[in-house]
Amino acid sequence: MKKIKGVGLGLRHQHFQEFIEKKPDVSWLEVHTENFFSEHSTSSKYLAKIRQDYPMSAHCVGMSLGSAAVACPVREQHLQKIKKTIDWLQPSMISDHLSWSASDGVHYLPDLLPIPYTEEAFEAVTKNINHAQDVLERQILIENPSSYLSFNDSTILEWDFLSALSKKTGCGLLLDVNNIFVSAFNHGFDALTYLESLPVEAVKEIHLAGYSIDIVEGKEVYIDTHGQKVYDGVWLLYEKTIQRFGEVPTLIEWDTDVPELSVLLAEKKKAEAIIAKVLNKQVA
Amino acid sequence: MTKSTQPSQPTQVTTLADLQRNFISDCLSGKLKQDNILLAKDIDSSVISAQGLMGIYQNSAIANITNSLILTYPVIEKLVGEEFFSAMCREFIYITWPKSGNMDDYGAEFPDFLAEFEHAKHLLYLKDVARLEWAFHQSSLADDARITDWSTLAQASDILQLQFLVTPSLSLVTSTFPIDKIWHLNQDETSPDTEVEFDDEQGNDTFIVLFRQQLKTVVLPITAGEFVLLKAFDNKYTFEKAIVAATQKETDFSIDDSLKKFIELGIISGFSESVTAQL
Repeated sequence: MKKIKGVGLGLRHQHFQEFIEKKPDVSWLEVHTENFFSEHSTSSKYLAKIRQDYPMSAHCVGMSLGSAAVACPVREQHLQKIKKTIDWLQPSMISDHLSWSASDGVHYLPDLLPIPYTEEAFEAVTKNINHAQDVLERQILIENPSSYLSFNDSTILEWDFLSALSKKTGCGLLLDVNNIFVSAFNHGFDALTYLESLPVEAVKEIHLAGYSIDIVEGKEVYIDTHGQKVYDGVWLLYEKTIQRFGEVPTLIEWDTDVPELSVLLAEKKKAEAIIAKVLNKQVA
Repeated sequence: MTKSTQPSQPTQVTTLADLQRNFISDCLSGKLKQDNILLAKDIDSSVISAQGLMGIYQNSAIANITNSLILTYPVIEKLVGEEFFSAMCREFIYITWPKSGNMDDYGAEFPDFLAEFEHAKHLLYLKDVARLEWAFHQSSLADDARITDWSTLAQASDILQLQFLVTPSLSLVTSTFPIDKIWHLNQDETSPDTEVEFDDEQGNDTFIVLFRQQLKTVVLPITAGEFVLLKAFDNKYTFEKAIVAATQKETDFSIDDSLKKFIELGIISGFSESVTAQL
């Protein structure tokens, strides 16, 4: 298991061949675990080659840690598949989101759906994280979500919810700076307050991505699409993030309309320049 | 879009389980209307209506599921066009909710849906092309075959009573349409000007085997006899009974040629002397 540091890229199938043939200079790669559930699939065979040259991190989208039902067969089956995948992938870190996808043990919406920030939800997420960490036999990181609605029943602030989760379960935090920026706009909170409220020692990874802007009923809504370059406002917030949390491994994520690898490498350089500027380091 | 950062005081609390059940139902039950949103009383709609907010999630969820259908059915998408495909997927999703977080499992019912879908059922070949694409998807995900020591074949006491084992990536598809040609012509490297000739009058059925070789999934037309032979092997028939079945289907069937070809291609991956199934 190779240690992860510096700025990495999300590995997408469009770039498999390029990583195998050209071995571009990237510190580490992150994959969506669910895309490699079949160990013998064509995608997994590519990944098996690529992982020989790059440290890996596994980012999951389907643990559904915010689900109400703790004993849920469909989620349990999913968790077992994640375990099987990480057994051969041997990633340095494993993460998923503060969100849910499965309901009633039968239906699964492949999206990162918001939870109400209530005591009931906190208990459910705590049990689910503890269970996932028990099954996977290691710490997992929880990513802060982006969201477009808020629930009337919520009584806890999102950053307090995450901080308390980290303290109670021992999970780490994956700080998605773009998600903070998106949700701060959509819900009108202060992104810096969010950053300053999280425990420094819990943050183990950072994500950067692009968002899009929709107009709904005449109002702007920021949508976390991961299909654009990182916006200037997010870069500024990233600088503040590095100032507070230090040199945490950072990932450039791009999931829709995936461009040439050179575009992602240019985004990586920008992140590296910010780390160097904040920490007074020489850029490689 | 701004609202207070302070959480409001709860009035009538909905349990997390109910809220999540209603959320999925709102996203997947069909077109959202202001008066049919189950979650309306639970979300803050002071800036944007519940219909507008849930519409964001519905569109996102349907786009995610549609993207997984595009990955599985790229030829169908090419044949009907992006816009029509997306509209068709939306209708399919409303009646076929995902039951697993592994989207590789999703979409098996799509071929049957195409055959019944009002605006596409006149395209009779679509269902079979979709069956071929689902088979391709399954082959791509299958386990690798185990390595066999063929030198021990000569030691078998009665070769006719052996079972020949097929690769786990084997899929067999047949159709009354030239679906293998349609599939090949709609791969990225094929010229878009090429056309497929339909030959309904002669009633020539198409028989196809799909299997994986290293990193590539292969789509290969075979004869009717070969199709029956592989189907018999897949159903664990003895070698003798598989030959009988193949010869009944194709009078001039050559077992030597077919067996050699399928072993060389890796479609037949081994053999076993323990008979567990019969005709």
